[in-house]
Amino acid sequence: MRAASLVVLVTIVLPLVLSQFWAYQLGLYGLYAVAAVGVGLCWGQAGFLPLGQGLFFGLAAYLSGLAFIAFQDHLLIAVVALPFAVLVAGLLAYLIGLVVFRRPDQSGAYFSMITLALCLLAFQIATSWNSVTGGFNGLKGIPGIPGLDDFSDVYYVSAAILLVVLAFAGWLYTAPIGVLWRALAQNERRLQLFGFNTNQLKSVAFGVSGLMAGMGGAIYAPQQGLVTPQVVGFGLSADLVIWAAVGGRGSLLGPAIGALVVGSLTAQLRDTVPFWEVLMALFFIAIVLVFPKGIAGLAEPFARFLKARTSRPALTAPKSTADKPPARLTIEGIGVHVGEVTILDRLSLDFEQAGIFCVIGPNGAGKTSMFNVVSGELDAASGRIGLGDADIVGLASHRVSSLGVARKLQIPSVFPELSIADNLAIALWSGRASKLQLLDPRLRRWTSPMLRELQARYPFLASGSRKAAELSHGEQQILELSMALLTEPRVLLLDEPCAGLSPAETAAVMEIVRWAAQRLGGAIIIIEHDMSLVKELAEVVYVLHNGTLLAKGSVAAIQADPKVRAVYVGGEK
Amino acid sequence: MDPLIVTQAINVLYAVSTLAVLALGLAVIFGLLGVLNIAHGEFIMIGAYCAYITQSNGWPYLAALPLTLMICGLLGAVVEWTMIRPLYRRPFDTLVVTWGLSLLLRKIAEAIFGLGYRSLAIPLPGTVQFFGTEYPIYRLVLIALSCAVVAGLVIWYGRSRTGSQIRAMVSNPELAQAYGISVRRLAAGTFITGTCLAGLGGVMVAPLVPVQPFMGLDYVLRTFFVLIVGGLGSVPGLLSGAAVIGGFDSVVSAATNATNGYFAVLVLSILFLWLRPRGIVARG
Amino acid sequence: MSAARLAFAGLTGGYGSTTIVRDLSGTAEPGAVLCVLGRNGVGKSTLMKLLFGYLPCLGGEVLLDGKPIQGLDPSARRRIGMTYCPQERPVFDDLSVRDNLTLMRANRQLAPFREYFDRFPILERRLTQHAGTLSGGEKKMLSFVRGLAEDQPIVLLDEPSEGVQWENILHMEACIAEKRRAGTAFIIVEQNLAFAERIADRYLIMDQGRAMLEGASAEIDRVEILTYLHV
Repeated sequence: MRAASLVVLVTIVLPLVLSQFWAYQLGLYGLYAVAAVGVGLCWGQAGFLPLGQGLFFGLAAYLSGLAFIAFQDHLLIAVVALPFAVLVAGLLAYLIGLVVFRRPDQSGAYFSMITLALCLLAFQIATSWNSVTGGFNGLKGIPGIPGLDDFSDVYYVSAAILLVVLAFAGWLYTAPIGVLWRALAQNERRLQLFGFNTNQLKSVAFGVSGLMAGMGGAIYAPQQGLVTPQVVGFGLSADLVIWAAVGGRGSLLGPAIGALVVGSLTAQLRDTVPFWEVLMALFFIAIVLVFPKGIAGLAEPFARFLKARTSRPALTAPKSTADKPPARLTIEGIGVHVGEVTILDRLSLDFEQAGIFCVIGPNGAGKTSMFNVVSGELDAASGRIGLGDADIVGLASHRVSSLGVARKLQIPSVFPELSIADNLAIALWSGRASKLQLLDPRLRRWTSPMLRELQARYPFLASGSRKAAELSHGEQQILELSMALLTEPRVLLLDEPCAGLSPAETAAVMEIVRWAAQRLGGAIIIIEHDMSLVKELAEVVYVLHNGTLLAKGSVAAIQADPKVRAVYVGGEK
Repeated sequence: MDPLIVTQAINVLYAVSTLAVLALGLAVIFGLLGVLNIAHGEFIMIGAYCAYITQSNGWPYLAALPLTLMICGLLGAVVEWTMIRPLYRRPFDTLVVTWGLSLLLRKIAEAIFGLGYRSLAIPLPGTVQFFGTEYPIYRLVLIALSCAVVAGLVIWYGRSRTGSQIRAMVSNPELAQAYGISVRRLAAGTFITGTCLAGLGGVMVAPLVPVQPFMGLDYVLRTFFVLIVGGLGSVPGLLSGAAVIGGFDSVVSAATNATNGYFAVLVLSILFLWLRPRGIVARG
Repeated sequence: MSAARLAFAGLTGGYGSTTIVRDLSGTAEPGAVLCVLGRNGVGKSTLMKLLFGYLPCLGGEVLLDGKPIQGLDPSARRRIGMTYCPQERPVFDDLSVRDNLTLMRANRQLAPFREYFDRFPILERRLTQHAGTLSGGEKKMLSFVRGLAEDQPIVLLDEPSEGVQWENILHMEACIAEKRRAGTAFIIVEQNLAFAERIADRYLIMDQGRAMLEGASAEIDRVEILTYLHV
């Protein structure tokens, strides 16, 4: 709260200190700052870069301008119409996000290119659609908001909007949805495996950024009295990205500072300082390559001083919605082909609904591929996968997870830049938090009886504020395993959970696995190479070879099986 | 034959062949190395401005070639070394970094030449009788040249030892290293080839388009769409993408207007992203 | 080709933060074959990747004729006299069989491969085909021929017999025997015990990333080896 009060105080006092000209300038750049916060949200939080935000700023500006011109005799109506202009911009952004983020991989780069293309298209439309937009010369003679004609009025309106947007963004960043955005940027696959629809998360982020850009644009029209295609085009879009980067895209205030400071400075200095714009471009490159925290990064130690450190009591999470009865996982005739290579060859196996099972086999047998098909990350050309009564083959990975299938990946996969507490919280939200609850910051204090038990065994899980990246390899394995357990799954898929662990750590993991099997009452399926582990844990062993099931049975049975021996020892075939 | 149809047909051929040549550089850099060089359009711009400088100094037009190759080659080497080297096969990260580069190059061009359009005199002016219609010579020459460049590069890539080594490196970098190929050097060389090809394209189209600092944006998007629709990393992909995008744009623009043509191309590309994300010719 | 000796001591490493192999030591003497045995996932391929420079050593060293080479990347190790045939993706699928063999040679002459084609005629029959169309065993044979034809003093082979018919495995044995007589040092990872027994001078048997058994092949009991190989 200290930081917020300081900011508000400075904002109120500023125009009293500055000249009228500067008050007006800041009033204009304050609107750009609002849009820049949106860019910071997409880029700094959710990890994707919109290169055409001018589209939403300009769209709202044109809509607002048209409304003010149309209702110039009843300006109050125009003022009421402002929110609609904003909503249109936000909705358009959300829809574009839904369309573009559908593509599973590399959607980040493609998204950027498409937003760039859309912005250039919008510029072309604005320039050529003379009858509506006034063409190249733009929409002129837009009346101002009644009662706000002074230079300082301009400032206070912009400042008010900026503060509202910053408060809104600040709330979102501390709410679960902000944590999810940051998690998405760090490890999208892992987040999907916790049942979160990352495409929708990204679309919501983009939609909110569109809203913000729209807010700036909607006020811009009556404030400036003129809307030209420049406002919807590439120039402003590029500037917003530069300001967000230089100000510090990952922080709340950074993009706004970037727009206000760098933006107004550029307006002043571009004509006087030679090669100012070239210098800014070099500066931008340096920031991206070397110092991504930007200006806000310089203020970090100061900001830490301002942050109050209060610790609130934990809240108990509700029961998991995925808390359905244990179910049998059956794999029937699954075929997977990549090019000419057959990865899984009409693979069929089924697991009891409870117990610990191990899957073994030589390299390339298809063990991890089998897990990938079950968790919805690899497409099967044929076959069926049953989870209880449901057929889950072909479902997206977040849908499979929400049905109670948890997975621990081969290489420890957590959210490295998030705190341990946030990592665990994400696991708790999986299957328990409704969409609306994701806006409630109190959810960050969720805990569950299972989490408390895990924290009792592994105290490091309770040192909540440490970043996950600081943990040792073994601790990260245990953290990821704990996260998978916290979702209280019906089927838990573990891919080499002891890889790279010391004997002591391996014993610890084995202990958790046994405990979890009892506690959860579901099925735990483990891919393992280490036979000593398999002997200790497995009730049933499945041997895969060349994409099919070679043998199934107790450890003793498969040890005696000559087919298995041939595969493992080779021979004169 | 109806002269109007002949003209339209040659226009489409012109659009497709120049698009293919302009997309070559990006096909090499993005298709083979997984680097999304959003400054690709700016390298084309550099080629165009080199042509402008050549003409302003009264040199023969062909002198623009060595000038362009020198600048684009040197710049490509510096960029690869400072920005791209740690980021192969990471389209998003390379996009962010090259976005800054494209900004820098645009601002430098603006600082040197100003924002206004430059027009170049056409090196081979005049028209020629062609199937019952008059058609500009330079455009015909460009069509021939584009086909020659694309064909030449394709043959070289498929037959030469370096071409085979590049194909090896792209499909199996670990084995390529086991063979003794210095993947780092080969990748750098491939990147520089991509930037030089872009510059070359710029020299070719410069007399026919307005040369200004922002010209690159349109090209990078168009050539990007060519690769999305056609498919990354293969020659048939490049050619089919150029044919579809170039053809579509040509036809829609001629029938209505340029804005609609652009819109149609954008919609088509998004549809492909949705329904056939690996393009017409999906690489294995 | 002049003979050379590859030694490794206390080798520790893995992928990223995961340590797969610990404290491995061994030597490839000129004219001898060191066979690395063990079940899947024990770290045999990781050892080979550490020896050839694909993975950084977290501990220990690799010495070529006494000189440490940990800092060299794989293509550099190829140039100083080491050959490597990987277990996975052993050939260039997009190139022809001929190109796979002659990629780094000055010309596309096939004379140097004559003796190999006599032993593995199928490769000569498929010269113009894309290597991706070969069966798994044929790819391994192609990789084997490419590797041995490089004529280097140190040859690292990762499961050369995987998917290969027994009669061709015997041909491989003959090629290896000839090279051994000429002074080449081999380190060969194998799953096929019958094959390993025919070619090995020394064994290094691994489990859980460590060396379990080590010594001359004549001195190690087959039964003991089996306990480490079988489930």
